[in-house]
Amino acid sequence: MTDPLLAVEDLRVRFRIKTPLRALLDRDPDPFIDAVLNVGLTLEKGQAYGLVGESGSGKTTLARALIGLNPAHSGSIRFEGQELIGRKDRQFKTIRRNIAMMFQDPAGSLSPRLTVRSLITEPFKIHGIENVDLKAETARLLEMVNLGPDIAGWYPHQLSGGQARRVGVARALALNPRLIIADEPTAGLDVSVQGEILNLMGRLKRDLGVSFLIITHNLAVVRHVSDRMAVMYLGRFLEQGPTDDVFAHMRHPYTHALLSAHLNPDPDAERVRVELAGDVPSLIRRPTGCEFHTRCPFARERCREEFPEAAEAGAEHTYLCHFPLAADQP
Amino acid sequence: MATEPVLRVHNLSVNFRTPRGPLQALRDVDLTIPDRRVSGVVGESGCGKSTLISAIIRLMSDNADIVGGSVHFQGRDLLKLTRKQMRAILGDRISMVFQDPMTSLSPVLTIGRHMTDIQYRDRIGVGEKRKRAVDMLASVGIPDPESRLGQYPHHFSGGMRQRITIAMALLASPNLLIADEPTTALDATLEVQIIHLLKELQERIGCAILFVSHHLNVIAELCDDVTVMYAGVVVEKGTVRDIFHRPAHPYTRALLKCDPAVIQEKTELLPTIPGEIPDLVDLPQGCIFASRCPEAGDICLEGPPPLVEIAPGHVAACVRLTEGGTA
Repeated sequence: MTDPLLAVEDLRVRFRIKTPLRALLDRDPDPFIDAVLNVGLTLEKGQAYGLVGESGSGKTTLARALIGLNPAHSGSIRFEGQELIGRKDRQFKTIRRNIAMMFQDPAGSLSPRLTVRSLITEPFKIHGIENVDLKAETARLLEMVNLGPDIAGWYPHQLSGGQARRVGVARALALNPRLIIADEPTAGLDVSVQGEILNLMGRLKRDLGVSFLIITHNLAVVRHVSDRMAVMYLGRFLEQGPTDDVFAHMRHPYTHALLSAHLNPDPDAERVRVELAGDVPSLIRRPTGCEFHTRCPFARERCREEFPEAAEAGAEHTYLCHFPLAADQP
Repeated sequence: MATEPVLRVHNLSVNFRTPRGPLQALRDVDLTIPDRRVSGVVGESGCGKSTLISAIIRLMSDNADIVGGSVHFQGRDLLKLTRKQMRAILGDRISMVFQDPMTSLSPVLTIGRHMTDIQYRDRIGVGEKRKRAVDMLASVGIPDPESRLGQYPHHFSGGMRQRITIAMALLASPNLLIADEPTTALDATLEVQIIHLLKELQERIGCAILFVSHHLNVIAELCDDVTVMYAGVVVEKGTVRDIFHRPAHPYTRALLKCDPAVIQEKTELLPTIPGEIPDLVDLPQGCIFASRCPEAGDICLEGPPPLVEIAPGHVAACVRLTEGGTA
């Protein structure tokens, strides 16, 4: 069997919250927070993986760990069979040619002083690739994302939100990566433009066989463009599996709450809503037992004490919950 | 309802002076907010929502000119008031909730200071003001408000901060609350909480709300009446059911169709509205939406269509509607 494009096992990313001296003075044996904990995922070539969760759930930290921007503490990240954890920054550079990142804020991630042409061809310069015709490459990349060639001379402030986002896609595509990590690809875009970006990503996936890791808090986005998905909460995957299966038979109350939180654009729609109380707890003091129990409407005694084992809900569909929703629930 | 509306915006037009000539950001906008109702304004970036709000509360940038129209609040034209008269109204009878709760709270002042400062007009003692602050914080769902008065904005999460700004806005028991995308910066689960809170408080205090958002779903959940704006004009107005069940303008229909949340079946190709908003310095001759409208014909290019009444209280600006045609 060939290796999957990306295989992550038991990944843990931690951040120090106290200086070593402070920790010593406070007699704190564990001055860290775990932003990502026990995360495992596999992504096959030409597929899209959707990562959903609220702010602070660790989605972006996970993505940054994959391309080495945040050091992973333990676990394994294998990209095309090669282990990424423990690599030095320079060794990472060759890998980064194959993993591109689309950052969350499209206008903010484009330098205001560079033209679109310089922005798109910057990856070639960074990776020292010289034997390319930059002008032709610019035209090719702009065409790929449905932008006219005259945009090449523009500066970022002249672009609309949707155009800036597409320049971000073109830039990510420059070196023919095998994986694109898209951080909130539709956040801040008008609804009439969101579809354009998602359609573009779908086309690149089909035509070029690029894989996508899509990070979003919008479940509707995940439903339409991803093949597999995971729901993240406090750095853990609470539920994961094939997207269709998760939507058809969601088992974790949190997944259901996230889905029902998406307001229906119909004033008379029947509201079956799992409403969550309060805010996401602090990572500094993780709740005991099931970490979701502080907000779960179905929490019982056992949830407060015992951490749930991962349970199987079907082919490759797992969840962490003592009292899951019935399998035939919407 | 026979009572006088709280706010009546009539034929309001606003231009921005730009090096290329006047940019016509708002053109003949009409908007009526009845007492004790929640009115929503929905539209995409560049449709003039924020310009409309800043014209109402007279907080416009230096290069903006009001070229016509009136804004009547409780019978007085706000556009004719002096700065001093305006200040007497703002924060007392009209209050605002802004998009980003972090930037509308001062990071160097405690929550208690914020909450008492905003009552500067009331001639009551500090102790009484603090008590009112505590009661209001409790009613927006801040647990243990007494002990939190001494904390600073950074001690609170995003959802909590927005609850605090709502509490501040309502302390003056205004007649009109203007909310500019108050949930955009929040997660979906918190968005639901804030929307329900607003609705509950509106019923209790009995104020009218002008709620501005680009988010259709939020509008559907919260509002009684909806105004749809596009590129500086009102294209459709009606009750929330008119707009969401019987949208008459092609733009409203396209917008409703585009929302990924509406599409329950998994699809590879999502609908979009191709094209861009027209240049507001050099306005097109005819209907402003014609260049992106799937149903546009020659008749649409002749002149801007007037608002036509389709049903009582439901109006839309599309020539197809007067033709008695297919739209």
